[in-house]
Parts: sequence; C-alpha cells; structure tokens
Amino acid sequence: MTEAPVNSVKTAAQYILPPSLVSKIDLSRLVTEVERVDNELTAAEVRAKGNGGKAAQPVLSQQLVDFLQANDTSLSDGQTRMELIKQLRQLKDKAPVIHMTFAVTADVASLQYIAQWLRQEIDPQAVVAVGLQPGLVAGVYVRTPNHVHDFSLRGHLAAQREVLAKELGALRGNR
Amino acid sequence: MGLFQNKHAGKPGKSPIVDVFENEKNFFDESFREEIKTHAREYFEDVIQKNVVIFKQDLDAAVAEIKADLKTQTSEKLDKAIAEVNANLREHTTRRLDEQFEAYGKEVKTAQAQTIESLTRTAGGLEDSYKQLSQKLEQSVEGQAAVFAGAAKENSDRIAVMKQSQDAALDLLNKSAQALQEQHQALRTMLQKNIVDQENMILSAFQDNMAQIVEHYLLGAMGDQFDMKAQLPSIIKQMEENKQAIADDMKL
Repeated sequence: MTEAPVNSVKTAAQYILPPSLVSKIDLSRLVTEVERVDNELTAAEVRAKGNGGKAAQPVLSQQLVDFLQANDTSLSDGQTRMELIKQLRQLKDKAPVIHMTFAVTADVASLQYIAQWLRQEIDPQAVVAVGLQPGLVAGVYVRTPNHVHDFSLRGHLAAQREVLAKELGALRGNR
Repeated sequence: MGLFQNKHAGKPGKSPIVDVFENEKNFFDESFREEIKTHAREYFEDVIQKNVVIFKQDLDAAVAEIKADLKTQTSEKLDKAIAEVNANLREHTTRRLDEQFEAYGKEVKTAQAQTIESLTRTAGGLEDSYKQLSQKLEQSVEGQAAVFAGAAKENSDRIAVMKQSQDAALDLLNKSAQALQEQHQALRTMLQKNIVDQENMILSAFQDNMAQIVEHYLLGAMGDQFDMKAQLPSIIKQMEENKQAIADDMKL
C-alpha cells in the first residue's frame, strides 16, 4: 500500500471502483476501514515521532487494497486520507444503486462479474443491492431508480401466458 | 248180540215139559224182558220218529194250505171291507164337502157384499180426495210454473253475465298467453345469451387457469435446475439487450 503514492486530489465521481467492491455495503465497509486505518496511522505517526522510529503499517483488506490500486493512490499521507474519507462518503451516498434480485444465492465471483459489467456498460460507479427470491426460478429481477426490468424465467412465462392461453383457445376452437 | 244171547242151556236129565217150563221161566227172565223193552222202545222210537217226520210234513203242508186259504180269505174280506169303507168315506166326504161348500158360498157372498159396499164407500172418498188433490196440484203447478219462470229468467241473466265474464277471461287468458310467450321467448334468448357468455367466461377462466397451472408446473419442475453460474450468461445477455434502457434510467 505504500507503493505508488500518487496522491492527486480526485472528486468522488472520479474514483474507480474495483470489481471486489460490489455493493453499497462494501462501500460503507470501505469508508469505515479507511477511517480506522487513518486513525491507526495517525496514532502510529504520533508514536513514531515520540519514539523516533518508523510508524507501524496497519493491515488492509483486499477490497481496500484493490481500491487503492485501481485508483493509484495511497494512505500514507494524512491529508490524502482525510480527503479520501470525505470523497468515499460522498461516493457511498451518491453511487447509483441497481437492485438485483436473483432466484438463487449469488456467489461472489458472479457478483463481481456483474458489477464489473455494470460499471463498464452502465455507470462506472454503479453498485449492486442484492436480493434473493426463489420464486423467480431463474434469471434476475433488476430494479433501477425508475424502472423494473424482469429478466426472470417467471416473468418470461407470465409474459408468454397470453400465448399459452391463445394456444389453448385455438385448441378449443379446433374441437 | 243176539236176542237169545243170555239164554241158559237146559239141564240134562230133565223132561222137555219140565224143561220147557223151566226154559220158559228162564226165557222170560228179567233180562229178556228188559231187552224186549229196550227193543220195543227203540222200535217205537223209530216209528215215532218216522211218524213225527211224516206228521211234520203233513203239518207243514196243512199249515201252508191253511196259510194260503187264510190269505185268500183275508184278502177278500179286506178288499170288501176297504171297498165298503171307501164307499162310506166317499159318501161322508161328499156330504161334508157339499156342506162346507154351501157354507163357504154363503160366507163368500156375504163378504162380497160387504166388500162391494166398502169399495163403494172408498171410491166415493177417493173421488173426493182426487178432486182435492187435483185442485192442490193445479195450484202447486201454477206456483211452480211461476217460480220456474222466475228462476229461468234469473238463470238466463246469470248465463248472459257468465258468458260475458267468460269472454273477458278468455280474452285476458289469450293476452296473458301471448305475453307469456313473448316473455318466454325473451327469457329463452336471454338464457341462451347467458349460457354462451357463461361458457365463454368459463372457458376463458379455464384458459387462464390452465396457463397458470402450466406455468406453475414449469416453475416447480425447473426451479432447482439452474445455479448462478449457469444463469450468468443469460443474465448478462438480457441486461445487454436492455443496456440502453437501464443506462438511460440511471441518468435520470
């Protein structure tokens, strides 16, 4: 984490979210972790100044490491950390959320793949709110701020119900 | 067993006369007399028996003859007596009948006279009663005729009224029947329409329900057939197809 300390000031909209940060909860954890790391590093710097030694490095999560690498930034500078915390809070509040309800429990790899696709195709800072609804059978139920997109098998069958009813009607007419 | 079997032989040395006397004494002894009695008795018995038979035959013949004679005489006497009795009886009966007939004739004449007299009186009474009854009957007939005439007039009026009522009722019935037929026709049309509507509604409901049943079956049958990795390409494909819509919505 201490490598590539390019501490340029970025706005919240300029931050890149790595695939490991999928949901808004991940962002909240990231903010909390950055705050913790900031506290630990500040305390360590204070201790280091008093002891004349080198400050101890805190342990970082993989999500934070990925975020720092994706955004080419570091947490070594206290001012940078403060700014990062501020921007991450804004990002957490303003990141566009896409609610996705699956028929089965989504594994991490699949969620990361979907999050990556959303950020490439829809919005670079999009996050996913995951839900579970076995009644969907298969597919996904996507809810954006103003629309609902039913890509589930159940929705597909419901949409095709008229066709089935029409077929039954045609069968009755043949009799 | 001879007649002289108990006879004793004569003693030798005696004279024949003495011997005869002696023999005579010996010959008519008790035993010999007894035998003779027995023999005689048997002989008389035999004779008597024969005579009895002959006498019996004669007696039977005499009895038979007497019977015949007695029968003949009795018959003749009885016929005579009967003829005499019959004659007497006929005469007596004839005389009694004549007397009875004479008395009966007198009684019948007396009764006829009394009956004729009674009939004459009864005929007079009947004639009076007949006259009275005729007068009453005429009066009654006249009264009944008046009553019948009034009743006939009332009945005629009633019949006329009834006929008018019947005509009105018949007219009303015809109108009711026509109205009922029209209602029946309308009801039938409405019922047929309702039946068709109900049938269509039921069939539509059946189609909808059948679609739901098929859908439910498919959902139940396919619910556990997909995991997330298997669904992921389809999800990405569908999102790719709707990418623009999602992106536009996110920008709003």
